[in-house]
Amino acid sequence: MNRRVVITGVGLVTPLGIGKTAFMEHLFSGGCGIRPISLFDTKGFASKAGAEVLGFTAKDFIRPASIRRMDRLSQMIAAAARMALDDAGLAIDEHNRDQVGVMLGTCFGGTDVAAQFGKVLFSEGPRRVNPILVPNTVMNAPAGHVAIELGVRGVNTTVNHHEVGAETALTYAAAQIMRGRVDAVLTGGGDILSEFFFNVLSHFRTLSPQNGEAEGLRPFDVRGNGTVVGEGAGIVCLESLEGALARGVTPYCEIVGWGLSSAPSLPIGWPTDPAGPCLAITRALAVADITPGDIDYICSSANGGPRLDRLEADALQQVFRMAGQGPRITALKGALGESLSSGGMRTAAMALSLRHQKAAPITGLHEPIADLNFVRVPETQGSIRYGLINGISSGGTFVAVIFKKIE
Amino acid sequence: MELKRVVVTGLGTVNAAACSAAEFHHALRAGHCGIGPVSVFDPTDFRTQTGGEVRDFKPRLMLPRSISLKRLSRSDAMAMVAAIEALRDAGLFPLPDHLLPEIGVVIGGGAGGMLECEAVYRDYLLIAGKSPAYSSFAFFGCASSADQIAIQLRLMGPKTTFMTACSSGATAIGYARDLVQTGAATAIICGGTEPLCRITYSAFNSLQAVDPQYCKPFDKNRQGMSLGEGAGVMILEELGHALQRGALIYGEVLGYGVSCDAHHMTSPDPEGGGAVLAMARALEDAGIGPEAVDYINAHGTGTPANDKIETKAIKHLFGRRAYEIPVSSSKSLTGHTLGAAGAIEGVVSLLAIHHKFIPPTIHCTTPDPDCDLDYVTEGARDAALKIVLSNSFAFGGNNTALVFGKFCEGGFDNE
Repeated sequence: MNRRVVITGVGLVTPLGIGKTAFMEHLFSGGCGIRPISLFDTKGFASKAGAEVLGFTAKDFIRPASIRRMDRLSQMIAAAARMALDDAGLAIDEHNRDQVGVMLGTCFGGTDVAAQFGKVLFSEGPRRVNPILVPNTVMNAPAGHVAIELGVRGVNTTVNHHEVGAETALTYAAAQIMRGRVDAVLTGGGDILSEFFFNVLSHFRTLSPQNGEAEGLRPFDVRGNGTVVGEGAGIVCLESLEGALARGVTPYCEIVGWGLSSAPSLPIGWPTDPAGPCLAITRALAVADITPGDIDYICSSANGGPRLDRLEADALQQVFRMAGQGPRITALKGALGESLSSGGMRTAAMALSLRHQKAAPITGLHEPIADLNFVRVPETQGSIRYGLINGISSGGTFVAVIFKKIE
Repeated sequence: MELKRVVVTGLGTVNAAACSAAEFHHALRAGHCGIGPVSVFDPTDFRTQTGGEVRDFKPRLMLPRSISLKRLSRSDAMAMVAAIEALRDAGLFPLPDHLLPEIGVVIGGGAGGMLECEAVYRDYLLIAGKSPAYSSFAFFGCASSADQIAIQLRLMGPKTTFMTACSSGATAIGYARDLVQTGAATAIICGGTEPLCRITYSAFNSLQAVDPQYCKPFDKNRQGMSLGEGAGVMILEELGHALQRGALIYGEVLGYGVSCDAHHMTSPDPEGGGAVLAMARALEDAGIGPEAVDYINAHGTGTPANDKIETKAIKHLFGRRAYEIPVSSSKSLTGHTLGAAGAIEGVVSLLAIHHKFIPPTIHCTTPDPDCDLDYVTEGARDAALKIVLSNSFAFGGNNTALVFGKFCEGGFDNE
């Protein structure tokens, strides 16, 4: 009934590289995936930068017949899922296909496909639309494609809740394994950098630069003036500890607890009171049965937007204030951009940090907004026993997940 | 981990057949069809013109003054109306302050604010250089409904939104049940919401999946679904808490199962493998065997493929007993409300248990040799139900089955 849950594989399609080796090299050395946007023309916009996935070749990971049925997001997620499965060394066959699930988070899904569909609908009329596009306009398309591509029929779902979809899917997946409903779940998520999404965020003045300052994503920095859009997919393979050990696999890390909460906020803004994120973290600590002082490393949500970064810094100060020097804190969006459903990439990064005992430095932080133990330079050595992923979404939804080193 | 029992203490719905759960009970009894001409947008140029539209929807008249409709899409407003109705029904409105950290909201969504955003989307896609009225994108995503409910009620419990097309609402109920069962919340406001809109309407029409007249689930001459809209919301509450405050209990959420066809993005697995798996897992989760099921609220969309395959899957799982179990499709009254369907049908299941009746399948008049179960075509039937299974199957091969039971103090097995 209460099985222990571990991560046995990671798959990454990110602006820092495709696959764990390339990703890890840049992650731990302070690399940055933010460059001028090449996917579309940014003329007329103050923002020019984005963190794009470059050099991704779907056919390296997915069957050619499947590729043409998938939109770009589904391709990235399916490739990451394939990598995670292979990394875990888990083979799918007739006997285990019903025991393996897919649980994802995405914020905008295949918006580029919806745009193509809509363009014909609104210009040529409803009788001219292309039915081939329809399957990829729904948010659950990537999860459906992954299931078809890998042939897995276990629990399959998609969380579509702003920036915390992937973290929520991860906790749901962990619960499924803990309760013995399935033996493995490919979980995580992703989003693509779409022109449409760029337009909307520009309109809402979410993107750097603001206030006439230089463009850039500066997490937890006094000069933070907005975020930079990103994209990418991250998938981890979750299994029960007993299942992993039975297969002779050494897991990356264990998932030992999580906490969920919400708090009043503007619908597309952030609350100013840190009570909501504090509640998620303290709930996660209680489930893991540890104290704030046990947490060694935190992967934050900070994205260079002043209100989000302030909220998160306040929450971390409040929860970890009594913990001496406090846990080391990173902000991966400095290197990955704000890809919305970043929880999959951040979970894979956490798994790598716990296995390799290295914290990832923050790219873009020069002058911190708070006296917290930010990871400023690449670490040569460190020790991480418990790591925490802090998920914060606009509209006031919070998910905190605690990971533990395999001992 | 000690698992708690989870009961339903409040119901709310807005759909084409009824504007409240009480009204819905009567509509289900009477076999009242809500499918008719679509008017939320002009359907003239579309292949079909009918749907399960919520007519004369006036949320301001249905909501207390304390609830604001500012920045709420039609979809959000329907969810809000159903949520407030469910809370009032549960005797939990207004919510006492001490409960706020313990109460969450889980919604299954679909097109979200697309109906309102379509005009903006059109301008964005077609008129270069013109800046569309982006403000309506504040509620573009389907997460907006859960956000608005949580924000306006000042909730601090778990909150999320599922989007698995036509099984969203059912999955939301299943997940909410897990949260209450494992103690992550004392109560969850859960359900689903879906608006009619041009993009969805044209998408299903382009797939030739819509009946131009009205859907005829399990009928030999069925030609497809009727698209619908609406919201269904229920209050899931930890049993001890519900008993302590003397709440009326509609029934218990005994279990659920989720699976994937892993077959095709829009066509169901012809063998019904994923559907069988979801139903079997739901029964297993509930700790009951197929012999205990008294009524199946079918997915029953009225498409040629679904009804045939769902029938096959039921026969596969229940064997000869399949012929003895009443199976009906509420979509024949409400239309297929996509993201809301699983939740609205959850409301149907609980009304059926509480009011001791089996709702009918209407418009099913010509027998189909491929659909040879008892579809309750002659009208509603009186029946004391203990266990109801409710199916939701979706694009992407996402299947969810829910098991609801009549509440018995000692648990189902001990009655």
